[in-house]
Amino acid sequence: MEPIKPYASVDEVRRRLAEQKYICDNNIATVVFLATQLGKPLLVEGPAGVGKTELAKVIASSTDARLIRLQCYEGLDEAKALYEWEYAKQLLYTQILKDKIGEVTQGAATLAEAVDRLTAEDDVFFSHRFILPRPLLQAIRSDDRVVLLIDEIDKADAEFEAFLLEILSDFQVTIPEIGTVSATQIPIVVLTSNNAREMSDALKRRCMHLYIDFPGKDLEHEIVRLKVPEVGSKLMAEVVGLVHALRALDLKKAPSISETLDWARALVVMNIGDLEDALVKDTLSTICKYEGDLRKAEKELSAYVQRKRADRERAESAPPPPADDKDVLH
Amino acid sequence: MERRVLDFAALLRRNGIRVSTAETLDALRAAELSGLRDRTLFKSALRATMVKRAPDVPAFDSLFDLYFSGVGDMIEEIGAESAAGMSGEELQDLLDRLARLLEDLDPPPSDLARALVTQDTASLERMMREMSQQDATSPPDSPTSVPAAVRRMMDRLGAGSLAEELDRMIEALREAGASQAEIDQLREYLDKRLQDLGKMLKRMAEMEGQKRERPEERDKEKERLLDKSFYYLSATEIRQMREAVAALARKLRNLMSIRRKHTKRGRLDVKKTIRGSLEFGGVPFRIRFENKRKERPQVVILCDVSDSVRNVSRFMLQFVHSLQDLYSRVRSYVFVAEIAEVTKLFSDNDIQTAINESINGNVVNVYAHSDFGRAFKDFHVSHLDVIDSRTTVIILGDARNNYNAPNEWVLRDIQERAKQVIWLNPENRSTWGFGDSEMSRYGPFCDVVEECRNLRQLYRVVDRMILL
Repeated sequence: MEPIKPYASVDEVRRRLAEQKYICDNNIATVVFLATQLGKPLLVEGPAGVGKTELAKVIASSTDARLIRLQCYEGLDEAKALYEWEYAKQLLYTQILKDKIGEVTQGAATLAEAVDRLTAEDDVFFSHRFILPRPLLQAIRSDDRVVLLIDEIDKADAEFEAFLLEILSDFQVTIPEIGTVSATQIPIVVLTSNNAREMSDALKRRCMHLYIDFPGKDLEHEIVRLKVPEVGSKLMAEVVGLVHALRALDLKKAPSISETLDWARALVVMNIGDLEDALVKDTLSTICKYEGDLRKAEKELSAYVQRKRADRERAESAPPPPADDKDVLH
Repeated sequence: MERRVLDFAALLRRNGIRVSTAETLDALRAAELSGLRDRTLFKSALRATMVKRAPDVPAFDSLFDLYFSGVGDMIEEIGAESAAGMSGEELQDLLDRLARLLEDLDPPPSDLARALVTQDTASLERMMREMSQQDATSPPDSPTSVPAAVRRMMDRLGAGSLAEELDRMIEALREAGASQAEIDQLREYLDKRLQDLGKMLKRMAEMEGQKRERPEERDKEKERLLDKSFYYLSATEIRQMREAVAALARKLRNLMSIRRKHTKRGRLDVKKTIRGSLEFGGVPFRIRFENKRKERPQVVILCDVSDSVRNVSRFMLQFVHSLQDLYSRVRSYVFVAEIAEVTKLFSDNDIQTAINESINGNVVNVYAHSDFGRAFKDFHVSHLDVIDSRTTVIILGDARNNYNAPNEWVLRDIQERAKQVIWLNPENRSTWGFGDSEMSRYGPFCDVVEECRNLRQLYRVVDRMILL
């Protein structure tokens, strides 16, 4: 069983992800490269909205792999994550095929013989036919390349996490009715976590770990430019600057990259050219989702606008360059 | 490289970052792929494989720099400092001349002298590292032993004969017929380098000390805080305590979700099972159970916020409000002599602001003398109806009533209505009932009376409260 090695180098990772409009720094690219090379699951942590899920999606699209997504939530169990046995279908088949079964057992001299004959066919009733594969089994059974995204693993219970361990280390599952199913190739597995709960050490040990934080100003610029090209470069600098200032504040929820993008789009739709516009205040709700945060953001915005005005006034009222002074002095 | 990665793993462990053997193996494989040439690449590779908790990342970063690049950077820095007086060309010229001089020197100079004089950072780094590895058995344990460590390293590097060698170089130069100015320049340079070596070794000894000096401080700190009495907290400790409370609250919440799940499953639900069996032709393939509905407790907290117990109240409020989703309803009151509800403060603000607001004196006069009797009576008059048979009432206070009327009948009324009454007293149990402490009067009307002097006790109390 070999890992898929879709990338040849770290630079290639960067390039291919950029082609999918995902800008990342060297650290992210390196870890993605290593995880795919070593065939290890990748555990991505970080604040909400920094592009953790997106990373899995672009890995899939950049490698032409199918994305299989398992969204975790409290109470998620094997039946919903791995497979479900379709009793109803099996029962239905048995009912419909009653006659056929009669034919098979017809002419059997003893009961034992009838059972023997049935046993010979019994694989029919215990086969993949009656299994409803859920994301994990789909990923393991798949013949083509897949990226398995296990999203928000921190939302699932600790028991589910323990159950995942077997799959993540061996990429095989045991189905009592059928036997063991192993993967033909190691899929690329990406787990994301918002850190609502600390993951167990056993899980962490098996994964490569990647922590994605809010990007620096330059990187965020690049992201906004790529995703919302309609925003002028001046407005973009202002938007990114203000979002960074907001993140430095003590907010209940810091604005994420996706919210920066939403805001930029909102400004474009509203046809707002710069942050001094009175309408800007009404668009702040795209980046702040709590009443208290919104108030803080408004304060920050007005402080920013005032600062900007003061700067401009100073620039305007500053004495003209002392080109003529010489003449006056002489 | 293997050796160094393993050493580094050991270093991480010494600093409280847990690195398993399997992870070290991963790190080695990753390092093989990343190679050593690109340092950021190498660093990312190690970080992804060895550090799995975000809070450990800063520690990893500083240790990585210390371990993998600290020495080289330091050597270069010191070299650059002493070359500051020269222009790049001058320096290059000097180095070239020296290189030629060293070629002809007989007997040839030692490796150390050559590396030092020609500013060969890579060789110097290698030598120093080898030396420090040999030295690892006898680390400089405290900063005071740095000079001793420097001396030891000097010996090991064979620096004793260095001055002689440098003299010999100058001699050779003189024989080659160099001018006095040239000789002076060279002497000055060599003296400087000799001093540089001293500096390098000193810094090296300090760095080695740093590496070993950071035991699991953080964990110990936390442990200490747990047992520290609330009475004696400094401002910094209050800040640290706040984080500790938040962490404990998180832990408790995790535990709760598991506990609740285990208690959820109830009796066989016949109706649902039969209805479900229709799908399978009347065969009850899937057994259905009733979901036990567990009532989430309602909590009413009365917090004394007078000077003596303010800290406990602060953390109790933080605790209960960070766990708000575990309760169906939390109502908080603060009192000294008058009593006031602060529930709204918590719904409108973030927890810390709300706590500060509650205890800073704007809500109730915090400079008055504690009067539990009056506070209870006021509560009885205007708020008694918030208590019903599902409510847990928590009272936090030292019961020091300044000899006012205790009004314990209020507590009796509360106990009759409430599911239970818990009294938390931040004073040592042995002092209860002495002086103006009315604990012995209030105690009989409480279901639980607990001493709550430090975080560990507070945690235990909160833990039990949720189970109710």
